[in-house]
Parts: sequence; C-alpha cells; structure tokens
Amino acid sequence: MIFNSIRWRLQAWHGLILVLVLAGFGLSAYHVTRDNQLRRVDQELDQRLGALFRPPPPQDPGSSPEHHHREARFDPSEFTVRIREAIQRAVQQAGAADASQTNACYYVLWQADGSVLANSTANPQAIPLPERIEPAAPPESQGREPSGRPSAEPRPGPRMFQGAARTREEQRELFRFLPHGECILVGRSLAPELAAMHRLGFWLVVAGTAVLLLGLAGGWWLASRAIRPIEDISATAMKIAAGDLSQRINAADTDSEFGRLTAVLNSTFARLEAAFAHQSRFTSDASHELRTPLSVILSETQSSLSRERSAPEYRQALEACRRAAQRMRTLAESLLELARLDAGQEPMKREPFDLARVAREAVELLRPLATERSVEVRCELSPLECLGDAERISQVATNLLTNAIHFNRTQGEVRIATLAENGTAVLTVTDTGEGISTEDLPHIFERFYRADKSRSRAQGRAGLGLAISKAIVDAHGGALEVSSQPGAGSTFRLTLPLK
Amino acid sequence: MRVLVVEDEPDLLASLLRAVREDGYAADGAADGEEGLYKAENYDYDAIVLDIMLPGLDGWEVLRRLRKTKKTAVLMLTARDAVRDRVRGLDTGADDYVLKPFDLDELLARLRALIRRSANQPQARLEIGDILIDTAGRTVCRQGEPVSLTAREYALVEFLALHRGKVVTRTTLYEHLFDENDSTLSNLLDVHVSNIRKKLGHDFITTRRGHGYSIEKTQ
Repeated sequence: MIFNSIRWRLQAWHGLILVLVLAGFGLSAYHVTRDNQLRRVDQELDQRLGALFRPPPPQDPGSSPEHHHREARFDPSEFTVRIREAIQRAVQQAGAADASQTNACYYVLWQADGSVLANSTANPQAIPLPERIEPAAPPESQGREPSGRPSAEPRPGPRMFQGAARTREEQRELFRFLPHGECILVGRSLAPELAAMHRLGFWLVVAGTAVLLLGLAGGWWLASRAIRPIEDISATAMKIAAGDLSQRINAADTDSEFGRLTAVLNSTFARLEAAFAHQSRFTSDASHELRTPLSVILSETQSSLSRERSAPEYRQALEACRRAAQRMRTLAESLLELARLDAGQEPMKREPFDLARVAREAVELLRPLATERSVEVRCELSPLECLGDAERISQVATNLLTNAIHFNRTQGEVRIATLAENGTAVLTVTDTGEGISTEDLPHIFERFYRADKSRSRAQGRAGLGLAISKAIVDAHGGALEVSSQPGAGSTFRLTLPLK
Repeated sequence: MRVLVVEDEPDLLASLLRAVREDGYAADGAADGEEGLYKAENYDYDAIVLDIMLPGLDGWEVLRRLRKTKKTAVLMLTARDAVRDRVRGLDTGADDYVLKPFDLDELLARLRALIRRSANQPQARLEIGDILIDTAGRTVCRQGEPVSLTAREYALVEFLALHRGKVVTRTTLYEHLFDENDSTLSNLLDVHVSNIRKKLGHDFITTRRGHGYSIEKTQ
C-alpha cells in the first residue's frame, strides 16, 4: 500500500498543511479586501446621502420660494416640508448627475405611508421599502440634526444620520429614516466591486494552486532526499539478510542523524560479521579437532575388520580406539563447558576463599607432572582472601600451571605467587619456557588457538584450556592477562576481587 | 611399490602403515614434517600420504620444498574442509586430496590410482601377452586362469609391468619393494623372480645381467 510508505505519508501531511495554510490565507485576504471595498462603497454612499442635506447653492434662489423665509421662521412642520422638497430636488439632481456614470447611484424617497415621493430610478417599485429600525436616539433630536447646521443641542457623533446599510442582490443601499417617517435611500450597483472580487478570487485560487503544486513538488523532493538514506540502509540490510555479511552502508555525511544511525548500524553489522566469522571458525575448529580421533577409529576398525587378526592386534586396535574416544570425550566436555559459560548457565558462587590455598592445592596436584618433566615449581604464596567460586578458580590455576609445566624447558622453573594489588587479589604463574611470539600473543585466549599448531594436539590438548579459564575468570568479574618475552618465558596474571 | 606416510598422530600413523602394507605396498612412516621431507627427498617413493597439520614443517611447506627436487605423487590428508585449503594444496603440487575422517578403502583406492597414474598406466588392467594383471583386485591371470602369487611376488610383477619396456635395476626394485623395516637379504629378489617365472612362464621376466630385470614391451 502506498499509504504505508513514509514518503507518501509525509507528502500527504505536507499537502494537507499546505492546503490549510493557503486556504486560510486566501480566504482572509478575500474577506479583508471585500470588507474594505464595502466600507469604501458605504463611505461613498454616505457622502452622497450627506450631500442631499447640504443647503442648495445660493445662486439658485428662484428655484425655491421657501428660501426667503427659511432663516426668518423656523417651524418644525415647515422644516419637514422644506427638507422633503430639498431632498426631492437633490434626489433629482443627483440622480440626473449620476445617471451618466457607469456605477450610477440611485435615490428613492418614500413617504411615511410607503408611497414613493421622489426617485432617480426608472423602476422604484423594484426597490422595497427598508424596514424601519427603531433608532436608539429620540426622533426629535435626530430630526433637528439632518441639515448639518449647528443646532440647539449638538450631539456627539461624526454624522447626524446614523442609518443602516443593506446589500440587496447586487446593490448596496444606504437608507435613513427622517423624523416624520420618510425614508431616504441611496444605492448603487456592486457590479464593479463584485467583478473585482471575482477577479481577486480567481487569481487567489490560481496563485494558491500554483503555490500548492510548487510546495508539493518541493515536499516530494525533500521527502525523497530524506528517505534516500533509509532506502540505502534498507537495501544494505536486505543484502545482509540475504547472507552477504560483508555489506556496509555508504555514509556520505557522518554528522547528520542518518550519518550517526549509519555508523551505529555499520558497527553493528561489523560485530555481527565478526561474530559469525568467529562462530564459523569455532565450528570448523571443533569439527577439525573431532576429525583426527574419528579418523583413527574409522581407520583402525576398518583395517582390523578387513581380515582375521590375532588377539594382540585386536587389543592394539581397541586401545587406539579408546584413546581416540577419550580425546573426543575431553573435547566434548570442554565444548559443553564453554557453551554453558557462554550462556551464563553456570552461576559462579561468590564465597570467600583463600587464593593461596587454592594455588597450593593445584601445585600439589601437578607435582608428579612437574617431576616427570624435570620442572621445579616455586611457590610464593601468602594468604589472600578473595570472593568467588573456589572450585572454578582452582580449575583455572590448574590449567595455568599445567600449561606452564608443559611449555617449559627441561630443568625449567615455574613460579606461582599471590599478592594484593590495588584492592584486587592477583595470582601470577610464570614459566621459563620458550615464551609466546608477539603474533600469537593477542590470540592466545581464542578457542582452539595454538601457538604451535600440532605439538599440543599430540599431547591430547585441543586448545580450549585458556579459553575456558578466561571465560571462568570473566564470569567472576576478574581478568586474565598474559605477558611474554619470547625465549625467556611467559607470565599469566589472574586478577580477582578481594573479599 | 613403496609409500611414505607422514602423520603426527601416532595411532593414525600406525593404522595407516598397517593398512598400506596389507595392501601390498612397502611403507615407511614419518611423525613430523622434517622427517617426512628427509625421507621423501632421499628415497624414490611411489607415493606419499601427507598430513597437512604437522609439527615443525607443515604439510604445505613439506610439499613446497619436495617439489623443488621430486615429482613423487602426493596425496594430501587434512582435517580442514575448506575449498581454499584444497585449492591451495592442489596448487602447491598435491596430486590428490582426502579429507579426514576418511574411508580406508577409498584412501587405498586413491593411492593405487595415484601410483598407476604416476607410472603413466591409467588403466587398472594390464595385458602382457597371455598374462592379465588387475591392479585394482591385485590378481594375475594366465590364459584366463588365476595364478596365486604372494604379496611380494605380486608387487614385483606389478612394478615391472608398470615400467614395462624399461630395465629396472636391482637397487630400484629393492627400494620400491622393501621398506625400512625389512631386513633385505641380497638373494631374496632372485628367489622371488624365480618363483614368478615358475608360475607365469620363464620368458615373462627377462634378466639383463649386470643391469636388472624387465618385462619386454613386445610380448
């Protein structure tokens, strides 16, 4: 499913956010512009409405006989009539003036009973009389103000006529109710504004779509770029899963998050490969160790069975088979022990014991072997209480001593010593043998590793002793180290926690 | 036929020597690379069984040094089943390669084939006049009738037959038919030749006085 792809999901979210932002921006821009235009239209209409109440030009005295006594006598009813006439005239004038313009204004004056008193449009019936809205201020005060001249009680407010506005179909209309119920309305078509708004809307949509497409393309590019390392990683991981452990991810930039992930994965792969190589070498070594005794058994039995043999010959063959079988048993036990140590199935006891006593017992156990090989064992043991599994440490000490005796020269010497150092118990076993060459030294604790490829095998040793010893010491939280001087001998150093 | 076995595991060496001897060959043993190389360089063996994992000189080194002076057929014996090792062994000049643990019969069959090939006689059956020698079954027939030969007699017939048309000196015969453990009596060879002539006809083996013996090519 493509919607499971991160790239598609990123793209979808990115697109959604982009659409929302663009829509929000476009809609607000559209609304602000429309409001501004309406306000401008309202202002214009308001100005025209206000112009109706301005006094007629003085150079036109004959047009209205009432002008002569307008200032002489102020009578409210008279005023209404005069205003009505003035408005009627202004309506006619303004209507005539505006009729020539494209965005012509129209005026309608209704009487209180709803009949049209004056208008500038051909079809006043199409314009419904606005519903009367109750003004907040008393009609008297409103009535005194329309002329705009200073009145007896000046009221706060920018204009005298606070009427209402309405949008009817495509017309914007501003209307006022006069004190006696007359209603004056000025309106004009919104067609130019609406056309402009349509254009604006169209361009907003076009620009928005363009930005959206651009953004989506950019987002796709970004997502692809961001995804590419993941694809590299997944391709490499796939090859590794298919069995090619030598594959590594190409890390171009090492500082980015992906660079660090790549480094981590690569080091994991390297460790995996090393572990696999180690495992396969171990298996191959183990099978190699098994092959020689197996060859002995196979060849002895086949050869013995090929014809009738004498009793001593059978005995010889059986003894050879027994020796081979014993070697395989030793190997199998060692392998099992290593496997248990690897799995951590054999918990080490943590009991206080005397390292010197364990060492001394190991020395006594191996004294016959030392005598047989004319090797002298010197002990420098002082009591040293430490924590651990005495039996296992005894196994390690025995192994170290056996090696020291085996790989010694005749008339050689083995020195075994205990000492406390930096809060740890240390057991050292030093021999005067040939030593270990510098190229063998780093591998000496590896399983099946033998400095001399065959000598120890002939002695029935598989090359697992030191590996087992190290595993035991590691399980104790201690350390087993070796230093060697080729030609002069080696020193094995066992470190354990003190009690 | 004389075979050298170089193997450091004493039990395996003893077992191999016995098997090779019972197959009718004279056999010498060597427990390490240096002894093996010394013997291989100083005797004309018909084949060498060489273990790779040896103390001192390993099998590869023995083979490399031996190839400077001798072309003796070498069968490598190893416990490592890696293609790389096999390729290396064959490239160094080994003629065959057997993996431990091996089947004794197979090892002996390979050894026989190796010896035949090194004598330029790839066929297991050799026909000389009315005599038929089957080197695989180690039998000899005269006019279709099996002839009973002792192991030593058979070895002598096989060696001369494999080197048919050539004069084989007494020294060479001694070297190839008796191993280092045999106390060779000087007239033992004459006794064997005389016995073979009784069984296979007087003219089967020609004596070249002062040189040695041969089986003529044109019989």
